[in-house]
Amino acid sequence: MLIRPAADDLRTIGSALGRILLVVAAASLIPIGWAVAGQEWNPLGSFLLMLSVFVLVGVTLLRVSLAPRSKISTDQRHLDWGHGMVVVALTWLIVPLIGSIPFVLSGHYASIVDAYFDAMSGLTTTGLALVQDLDHLASSLNFWRHLLHFLGGQGIIIAALLLFGGRGMMTLYRGEGRDDQLLPSVRSTARAIWAIAMIHLAVGVVALGAVAWIVLGFSWQRSLFHGLMIFFAAFDTGGFAPQSTSLAYYHSAIFESVTAVLMVAGALSFAFHFRLWAGVNRAWKPAFARFRARVAALFSRTDGEEALSGDDWRPGDRRADGSFSLFENLETRSILATFLATMMFTMVGLAVLGIYTSVAGLSRQGFFQILSAHTGTGFATVPSAELARWTGLAFGGMAIAMALGGMASSTAGGVKALRVGLTVRAITDEVRNDLLPEGALVDTGYYQFGRHRLTPEVARSAMVVSLLFVALFLLGTGVAISYGVPLEQALFESVSAGASVGLSVGVTSPAMPVVLKLTYIFQMYLGRLEFVAVFVLIGFVYSMVRGR
Amino acid sequence: MMRTRAVIAVVVMLGAVFACSGPAQAVTVSTIELLEDGEKFAGQEVTVVGELVGDYGFRSDGSMWTQLNSDSYAIRPIVEGGPLRGSNVGIGIRMPAEFASDLDPAGRYRLVGPVVSVTGIWRYHDAKRQGETFLDVASFTLQAPGRDLAEHPDWVVYGVALVSALIAGVVAFGYIRKRDTK
Repeated sequence: MLIRPAADDLRTIGSALGRILLVVAAASLIPIGWAVAGQEWNPLGSFLLMLSVFVLVGVTLLRVSLAPRSKISTDQRHLDWGHGMVVVALTWLIVPLIGSIPFVLSGHYASIVDAYFDAMSGLTTTGLALVQDLDHLASSLNFWRHLLHFLGGQGIIIAALLLFGGRGMMTLYRGEGRDDQLLPSVRSTARAIWAIAMIHLAVGVVALGAVAWIVLGFSWQRSLFHGLMIFFAAFDTGGFAPQSTSLAYYHSAIFESVTAVLMVAGALSFAFHFRLWAGVNRAWKPAFARFRARVAALFSRTDGEEALSGDDWRPGDRRADGSFSLFENLETRSILATFLATMMFTMVGLAVLGIYTSVAGLSRQGFFQILSAHTGTGFATVPSAELARWTGLAFGGMAIAMALGGMASSTAGGVKALRVGLTVRAITDEVRNDLLPEGALVDTGYYQFGRHRLTPEVARSAMVVSLLFVALFLLGTGVAISYGVPLEQALFESVSAGASVGLSVGVTSPAMPVVLKLTYIFQMYLGRLEFVAVFVLIGFVYSMVRGR
Repeated sequence: MMRTRAVIAVVVMLGAVFACSGPAQAVTVSTIELLEDGEKFAGQEVTVVGELVGDYGFRSDGSMWTQLNSDSYAIRPIVEGGPLRGSNVGIGIRMPAEFASDLDPAGRYRLVGPVVSVTGIWRYHDAKRQGETFLDVASFTLQAPGRDLAEHPDWVVYGVALVSALIAGVVAFGYIRKRDTK
């Protein structure tokens, strides 16, 4: 029997949702500042409208959550697992809806569906776009498109956790498809994730801006603009670009290289980043200490080496916390193996097709496209019409790379490397079990930031999500085929939408049927939240209607 | 305004005709043809008419890189009430930096870039540039200078924003009062 949610359940959900919308409202002050600085008055009006709607909806939800009949006070109210999932699922529907207001009013979109498509694509870090005449779009609107990548990639929920914290908030974090708790408390984990993102932001924008200014010869203002936009899209594995020709606009191997580093950084899990940073910190700590001691020795005339006597750390030691065991991780091995395999497929496919006549051309273009696909970024250095001609093995390599995606709890989409590794491991364990004599014990252990045992529950969970992704890809493919799109192109575009990639072979365009647009919106939404939160929302709505 | 548009349209059309009868062997193509069947024109001398958009990237080797769009937005941009005609259709172009020394700023928001007719070799998957595709411009004619576009604030949007902000303020005030009394 289904139980109808109580009024207090709705208030709990409303309260959390209201707070999150106020966080997004605060974020929308940034494009407002941008529009004022750029004297872009029409976009400014649309941003003000968006801000007021965010605030209005947010405070209304908070107001309703304080209804007098409520038996529980706000302080006592905390989210359980189901509430959290519903809040996350609703957040990812409502934020693009209100966030698309400036797009609708810009006149660069043919319909509200198109504007919502782009807002959802931005927030889910997909990168498919229906904007028209992007090259004349206001810079503040362009900034908002890219900021949506950052909000979606770093997690609106994480920002809310950082500000509000509280009991039960971890369920929101998990609802966004993240499961690594870096530090003991939710708030400190959120703070660590934002710290990692901010350091990358500073370094990434400076690096990209410097290349644009020094190598590409742009003005410094425009260099900074391009650096910021490309950083948001690369580090959050988004794929929007400020110009219609995507990364091909820059015609620079150096710019592509810096972008590629950021794309890889975006596809790594925050747990990986965190341990990498901790390891680097430990590796450099003795060197800094030695340097400090030598400087001190210069002035105090004491033996600087003595200052290090207490530190017995040597580079290359395997730390107990696993900081130098990152390459033993099942996930790291899985992503390296799938990247090399799909790259080989694609390269061989391109060589067979004879698309590139030089090895350098094949390497640079093939490598960048496959990296963009596997990290789920979606930047392209070739036009979509040309990508559509990458058939056979090249198509297979690209489609598989997009479907597999980056690491779990990263900004990338797709099945994710950990699930791929666990699924392969479960299958090989099963085969080994069948081949060995009866009663023989098979080691079911695997390494992922420490030793774990591959239980049937873990294996089943990984396989179920993988199968759901396959079903999601088939759904989009089927709908596109029904509109006369060739199979290969339909599959490519569907995988791109479902795995939050954003590469396109030309199917995604303002002229495509509305049903196909809605299908891709649904795929982006479901793929980004990795099903669970959406299923819980559907169940919640159903129980509201049919429950007792 | 209508007159200006008409003049620009005529200039662009004349430019296309002029380009057709221009340098020997140069085929006049659109950017969409180059993007959809680039291999067909590989290594050929082609002429393309379009608007320069984005940035002018002056590089240390004496070249200037930018983007050339052949689409309707060069004639009637959306800010001027031009119709939506899909995504931009652009290609990368490289030209000697001196060609660009007197050019108006490239097209972007509230700015239509200079409309030019460029003739050059279509470098398709150029081996020297690791497979990049672009037009290597050898000659260049300005068809129409760049121009600023006027943008009139949409007061209706501001009005609606103000009203919803007021309502949000009232609700927020009610919420704070109620929360504090609880």
